[in-house]
Amino acid sequence: MSGWTWISDIYYVCWREMKRYWGQKPRIIMSIIQPLVWLVLMGNMMSGLTNNPFAARMLGVDNYIVFMTPGIMIMITLFGGVFGGVSLVWDRRIGYLNKMLSAPIWRGAIPVGKMTATALQSIFQVLIIALTAMVLGVRFASGIWGLLLMLLITTLFCFAMAGISLSIAVTVKSHEALFAIINFLTMPLMFTSNAIFPVAAMPAWLKAIAIWNPLSYAVTPMRALATEGWVWEKIIPGLVVVFLFALLMVFVSNRQFKRYIA
Amino acid sequence: MASVIEVDNLTKTYAGGVTAVKEVSFKVEEGEIFGFLGPNGAGKSTTIMMLTTLVKPTSGRASVAGFDVVREPNQVRLCLGYVSQELAVDDNLTGRDNLFIQAGFYHLPRKEIEARCEELLKLMELHERADDLVETYSGGMRKRLDIAAGLLHRPKVLFLDEPTLGLDIQTRRQIWQYINYLREEVGMTIFLTTHYMDEADALCDRIAIIDRGVIKAIDAPAKLKSRIGGDIVNIRFAGAGREKMAAAVRAINSLPVVDSVKPRNDECIVVVKNGDAAIPEIFRVIQPLEVWISSVTLKRPSLDDVYLHFTGRELRNEFGSKEDAMRSRVIMRRVRG
Repeated sequence: MSGWTWISDIYYVCWREMKRYWGQKPRIIMSIIQPLVWLVLMGNMMSGLTNNPFAARMLGVDNYIVFMTPGIMIMITLFGGVFGGVSLVWDRRIGYLNKMLSAPIWRGAIPVGKMTATALQSIFQVLIIALTAMVLGVRFASGIWGLLLMLLITTLFCFAMAGISLSIAVTVKSHEALFAIINFLTMPLMFTSNAIFPVAAMPAWLKAIAIWNPLSYAVTPMRALATEGWVWEKIIPGLVVVFLFALLMVFVSNRQFKRYIA
Repeated sequence: MASVIEVDNLTKTYAGGVTAVKEVSFKVEEGEIFGFLGPNGAGKSTTIMMLTTLVKPTSGRASVAGFDVVREPNQVRLCLGYVSQELAVDDNLTGRDNLFIQAGFYHLPRKEIEARCEELLKLMELHERADDLVETYSGGMRKRLDIAAGLLHRPKVLFLDEPTLGLDIQTRRQIWQYINYLREEVGMTIFLTTHYMDEADALCDRIAIIDRGVIKAIDAPAKLKSRIGGDIVNIRFAGAGREKMAAAVRAINSLPVVDSVKPRNDECIVVVKNGDAAIPEIFRVIQPLEVWISSVTLKRPSLDDVYLHFTGRELRNEFGSKEDAMRSRVIMRRVRG
């Protein structure tokens, strides 16, 4: 690795993933429909909840969709991110990985490039959720800049989740094994966080888990931005944690990659 | 002439304790086509992967274009083009995009990338389909695209791992033409592995026969052929007992015209100086032993015989892993397009 070629290496790995993404129309259509279904269906199903004043107090808002929107955003980026490692398993199987490794590229460009591509793809989905929510009457308390900050948080979070996925992907040889591990991780991670239900409504043991769940760290500042506005004491800790989480995953995925592959 | 590849006592033992390559040494001269010939699992691919910096050797030393594969991997990578047996092209991209990415991986200047891609698409006769997705390509087109990708940065050495595996005869001949063109017009050094004898015979200046991780012979194909002596008489016995067969082999071996005899199952391979004259002689000594012969064939030596002479068995039942099986299935599916 000399000079700045590592940036170019990340660029080309990422470019390939993005080009593949645009070439797969069904994938794009699904990535549009999926958040719509979650937001419209879930939001409407649960909207009766806010008619109950006790529940409304726990949610902190009088409209469940407002509460739900940041949660759905993170959920979508979680689902997108955990599949970031799938392309690595495939690359390994068709020999493309060896082709990349026989080229003079920085080894870390492979995981980081793939993580970046996965994160970029999530931006698109989060924007669709934001637009749909606005159509459904949601107004983000912190305005357009708040929405941009929410976008930054989801992107960093997706980047980090893709790192976890890649770190696992280097150790398995088949898609089936990777999918099994991903499924095992995703759902519990989702339901032990504050993404869909408020922590206040959880039993004590679940509350303890939810507080430590990285998902909650990402959701808390986003929910503050969406429902309360620029409440810095709720935004800063989550932002810092998500940023450090993303950074940590760069190192972890690189280490895993060097150990198992390069 | 300088040696482009120098390999000295190279050994690779995998974590499971399997030694894939055992103290292998050889040199490849500049502008030469050097072939690695051997059965599946002989260590061909492992050797290529060590030379292309994909696998670290357990011991020994290897250098490509003067750079050590362990200490200076990035310099080595710049000097080599690697075309794996797996058809490593991205099906979800166009042919041109595949080359564009590859050029980027070798840090070619942006201005040059386009011209270089165009040049290789023309050379490999892919320019008409360059903007189609690779998933619509035939197996031969994918292979050509893969080779084009390996040539983008004008490497000193091109590594071709089983370049014609699974391709039909016409496509194989076409790939051979490209390989010959690269040697004659570009003067490129080429290291290839194959388990097709005719391929090694048609292309290689020198070949190394490798079996179970050990090099059994290195020489020009013609010299290897002459090394196993003259003609080959293959005698198949019909329903002979073990003892009778052994007696027959002893009798054949005692003939002055016979160089060597190798029994195998119910047949034996006899190397003789002049086959036409030797066959009646062989029949004469076998007749009194009451061993019945079901067929006799006479062959002038081919590289197949050289190969079998050095590697011995004809059929292999090697143990493969589930991943290997899966991988070869994927390769075959992709080759057939």
